[in-house]
Amino acid sequence: MLKNKTAHLYLMVLFTLLYAPIFFLVLYSFNAGTTMQGWQGFTWNHYQELFSDYHLIEIVLDTLILALLSALIATIVGTVGALVINRQKNRVWKNTLLSLNNVLLVSPDVIIGASLLILFTVCGFSLGFVSTLFAHIAFSIPIVVLMILPRLQEMSHSLIDAAKDLGANDQQVLSQVTLPYISPGVLAGFFMAFTYSLDDFAVTFFVTGNGFTTLSVEIYSRARQGVSLEINALSTIMFLVSIILVLFYYLINQRANRQRKNKLTKIVLPGERE
Amino acid sequence: MENKEPIIEFQQVDLSFGSTKVLNKIDLALDAGKFYTLLGPSGSGKSTILKLISGQLQADSGEILFEGQRINHLPAEKRRVNTVFQNYALFPNMNVFDNVAFGPKLKGLSKDEVRLKVETMLSLVKLADFSNREINELSGGQQQRVAIARALANDPEVLLLDEPLSALDYKLRKDMQQELRTIQKRLGITFVFVTHDQEEALAMSDWIFVMNDGVIQQNGTPEDIYDEPINHFVADFIGESNIVKGIMKSDYLVHFVGKDFINVDAGMRPEERVEVVIRPEDLDLTTIENGKLVVTIEDQSFRGDFYEITAQDDDGNQWQVQATNSATIGERVGLTFDPEDIHIMRFNESENDFDARLERYEE
Repeated sequence: MLKNKTAHLYLMVLFTLLYAPIFFLVLYSFNAGTTMQGWQGFTWNHYQELFSDYHLIEIVLDTLILALLSALIATIVGTVGALVINRQKNRVWKNTLLSLNNVLLVSPDVIIGASLLILFTVCGFSLGFVSTLFAHIAFSIPIVVLMILPRLQEMSHSLIDAAKDLGANDQQVLSQVTLPYISPGVLAGFFMAFTYSLDDFAVTFFVTGNGFTTLSVEIYSRARQGVSLEINALSTIMFLVSIILVLFYYLINQRANRQRKNKLTKIVLPGERE
Repeated sequence: MENKEPIIEFQQVDLSFGSTKVLNKIDLALDAGKFYTLLGPSGSGKSTILKLISGQLQADSGEILFEGQRINHLPAEKRRVNTVFQNYALFPNMNVFDNVAFGPKLKGLSKDEVRLKVETMLSLVKLADFSNREINELSGGQQQRVAIARALANDPEVLLLDEPLSALDYKLRKDMQQELRTIQKRLGITFVFVTHDQEEALAMSDWIFVMNDGVIQQNGTPEDIYDEPINHFVADFIGESNIVKGIMKSDYLVHFVGKDFINVDAGMRPEERVEVVIRPEDLDLTTIENGKLVVTIEDQSFRGDFYEITAQDDDGNQWQVQATNSATIGERVGLTFDPEDIHIMRFNESENDFDARLERYEE
């Protein structure tokens, strides 16, 4: 019992520490003053300001489009890559490919960003939306590969043999057996790539040019002149959206679980053991 | 033998994995509509033969024919054979209906035709009410049935079964043996069944191929193989056997454990060294005076419908006896048997020579 109480206390302290800054940020988005020093009364002003700041809203939309597009392309490229790596029969070659993939995952963003910047300049590629998109695709692909490969590896080869046995050609095996089997990994890879792209500051900072910027880079440059409470308002909205997304995900999961349980009443054939 | 073209024929088929020879000059011919069993210990090459028929593997050399057409390089999806896999290999992302409908859908049947086909196949394997179940909700036996229905839904000419019953418990396995036999008779197609269980093979098959080390040791009806094993391996692998060394004195006279016995085998060289097989159920306990052999009872265990008795003769040979009466351990008793219970095996006799010899002296 005592153990339980200590555990609860520990968790409460932990979550308070984690959520306090966010709560503080949300609270001050309603502050009538202009800084985070001292509460001066309630106001919606910063939200009004935010919604009339078309430049910032444009950047939010750009960031979302960038994340969606880069995640989508990275998922396609990464899925193909995972299939190719998994098909390698030569163990040395397979491990080399895997290691090359993993090195990209652990190498610091600053280095990836700097090297991409050098690449783009050497090639005479102008910095902007397209260069950022390329950069995001590049660092998302290894994540997607990493999410999909375990599913592929646990898939029994006899499933492919069975599909061929039943008359499926290579393409039908891929679309009707392999892809559905790895789809949870593909989906997870897509969402990981999406959030990595939304999050990313370091790489993006290097490869965004003059005309194009993402939210993280924009907030950084604004913060250098002192954070306006408009940013607090924006953060509050983003925080709310993510909470809604998490709740939504939770509800879907619950429903899927319940359906599964309802179906689980088995009929047992005579003479058969469970 | 019917005078029809075999549905599947192997001619001198060889296959190696690296430096390991898996199949060595395999010849076989399967007639349509029969239940065949490939029987052998693991690593004997029996599953490999199945994979060559289904197209999962390619032969190094030799010919594989389907209804007289060479199919060596025909891809698996174009062959009119289907497989029931050892681990069932059901598609986990599809329910029972979609698993069984997989083949018919690929063939481009209409929705109604597909549904009819799936329903027919599911009722054939007694799973009519299961079409909406997920695979992971089924027990092993039910998954087994779905795998059979899925393979049969493609209307194969030949159904290949790769040790399909090995994961089931004893009672369920017995039931499925009978059911498979019934299904095969009802559909009238060829079944090729792979197993390492000799009892299963004897119970189900029209024709058995006994395999070891990538070679077909013997093929024939279950009765032939049980009664006339060609060599030590077959005699030992199929059923229980007493095998002792002997010498063929002349036709119909064999010498073993120090005595001459009249038997029914012939066609060997005089004084040829041979192996003698007597099945435990052919030996009977009797008095010492009436016994053709005198043995000392060493061990005995009750098996329900008979006693399994181990005894030793004065030369130190072990004898397994299945007797209806019990004996006393340590007691000296006689063993008796009929001349036709003695089966003679020559060393290194090929199947062709064996068959030719049988024909010669049986005339």
